[in-house]
Amino acid sequence: MTTTAVTSAGIASEAPRSDFGRVLAQRERRFAAALLAPAFLALLATTTFPLLFLVYTSAFRMDLAMPFTNGFVGYENYQVLLSDERFWTSLLVSLVYTGSTVALQVIIGLALALLVMDLKRGQGWFRVIAILPVVLSPAVVGMIWRTFMLAPEFGIVDFLAINAGLGSKNWLGDPTLAMVSVIAIHTWQWTPFAFMVLLASLASLPEDIYEAARLDRASAWQRFRRITLPLLRPAIVMVIIMRTMVALTAFAAIFTVTAGGPGTATEILNLYAYRKSFTELSIGYGSALAVALLVVTIIISGILFAIRRAK
Amino acid sequence: MTAKRLRIIALLAISTVFLLAWAFPIVWSVMNSLKTDSDVLAYPPKLVFTPTWEAYRDVLFGSGSILPNLLSSVIISVGTTVVTMLMAVPAAYALARLRFRGKKFAGFYVLATQMLPPVGIIIPYFLVLRNIGWIDTYQGIILIYLSFSLPFAIWLLVSYFEDIPFEMEEAAYLDGASRLKTLWRIIIPQVRGGIAVTVVFVFLNAWNEFLFAVVLSGNTVRPVTVAMFNFVSVEQTLWAKLAAVSVLAMLPVVVLGVVAQKHIVKGLTVGAVKGGGRR
Repeated sequence: MTTTAVTSAGIASEAPRSDFGRVLAQRERRFAAALLAPAFLALLATTTFPLLFLVYTSAFRMDLAMPFTNGFVGYENYQVLLSDERFWTSLLVSLVYTGSTVALQVIIGLALALLVMDLKRGQGWFRVIAILPVVLSPAVVGMIWRTFMLAPEFGIVDFLAINAGLGSKNWLGDPTLAMVSVIAIHTWQWTPFAFMVLLASLASLPEDIYEAARLDRASAWQRFRRITLPLLRPAIVMVIIMRTMVALTAFAAIFTVTAGGPGTATEILNLYAYRKSFTELSIGYGSALAVALLVVTIIISGILFAIRRAK
Repeated sequence: MTAKRLRIIALLAISTVFLLAWAFPIVWSVMNSLKTDSDVLAYPPKLVFTPTWEAYRDVLFGSGSILPNLLSSVIISVGTTVVTMLMAVPAAYALARLRFRGKKFAGFYVLATQMLPPVGIIIPYFLVLRNIGWIDTYQGIILIYLSFSLPFAIWLLVSYFEDIPFEMEEAAYLDGASRLKTLWRIIIPQVRGGIAVTVVFVFLNAWNEFLFAVVLSGNTVRPVTVAMFNFVSVEQTLWAKLAAVSVLAMLPVVVLGVVAQKHIVKGLTVGAVKGGGRR
């Protein structure tokens, strides 16, 4: 009884003060709790619990191939990690992959959105075709590119390269070209996303500001720099945040194309954690790598959200 | 006048290049799926050829048919969609319409769960599922798919629930209807469209998932995205068949994507307004 009194006093400013109102408010809380319970229990079980368990396993040596060496090791995995060259390389690959794919998506997507806004006809074509790459499974996309697009000679990209006089290239076998390829594939698949979001926000910008600017004889560049860009800023930052989070944890489109190779040339941190855990079966160290990835994700999103808040 | 005409021609040229770049790999896969292996491997690549259904016949009805894998994908996707919606609709309604303490925190929690890298979820989950013998089972895979489908569905649905006028509920309460009845009879019918869009996206994400599937699948449960690998091996690639399987794997999501075309931007950016986001 006392708790009821306290809680209803706490929200007294919102809820009606009568007993009837109090009963209603309490019923509403109970109803809300009942509606939320299944979803929140499922989320606790499938996200919060794994996170805690992950941190726990990262303090163990847990080798599925050699179970007799298993045991508690404290923070040893993290010590190993700090002096693990493959970790630092994969972190660098992650940052290059994320930075370049996100930049390319935003620049190409924005340029194309501005261009399509000027089209009097044919916008519908863009709206339909831009959807295609976005709805596909990155695994299927990776498979198609690896074979029909990038295979030596009869792959279309290689065919075009030969005809352009560049000669046949080993697109996925050469470390640099492999990195370029996986970046290009990710950019191919997700630029339509940036394009669609930015086109939608462009279409919602008020027309009269542009009229006024035109009357003031502002050049096209000035209109873009002084009006369009500042008005689009929230949408651009949102696209950057969403795409960064995804690129950091990209998996299928690299796994199916190069599996991180040749060597570790395209092995992003996410893929390293996977390979360590499920190919080399060192679950404990793999967990530490996954925790490191989470920390990197939190730091980067913290920076991005700070940028978003800053005006 | 000529400058303007040049500008229009340049615009059209650039647009065409991009439309082609996005459509081509898909169209090319469809064409290759209708070729024989020797036509696929022809140099220069053949744009004109005699189409054949042979590759489709082989992958669907030949030995090593992928029909069981397509069925696997359907069961996983439908199962995930049903369980997700049963949990997400009530939760989204509560978050959008009801007053209770900790509501802000609850909303934030749903968003924050999306920050977890999937690889960080699958490592511990693999250990747990192995212990209880749920590797290579539908319940195991559907359960872990909730980790990404639930937050997404909840936030997408909240945005639709928030659009309904409050008066509808109040009128129902005044008529003496219970809360549950009001939700079921008055509110749910109002958000039918939003529910349909959410179903499309949850299905799509489940159909396309790969990392969890590749770790948890086995001989019983093996969705088509994983089974695709059977057609590429170190010794040889079965080109036309691989193309056919890719097309079959793309077909449902392309159809759904085009159907849900108008809602796709909302579906892709859900939660972003409030702060998070995923794949």
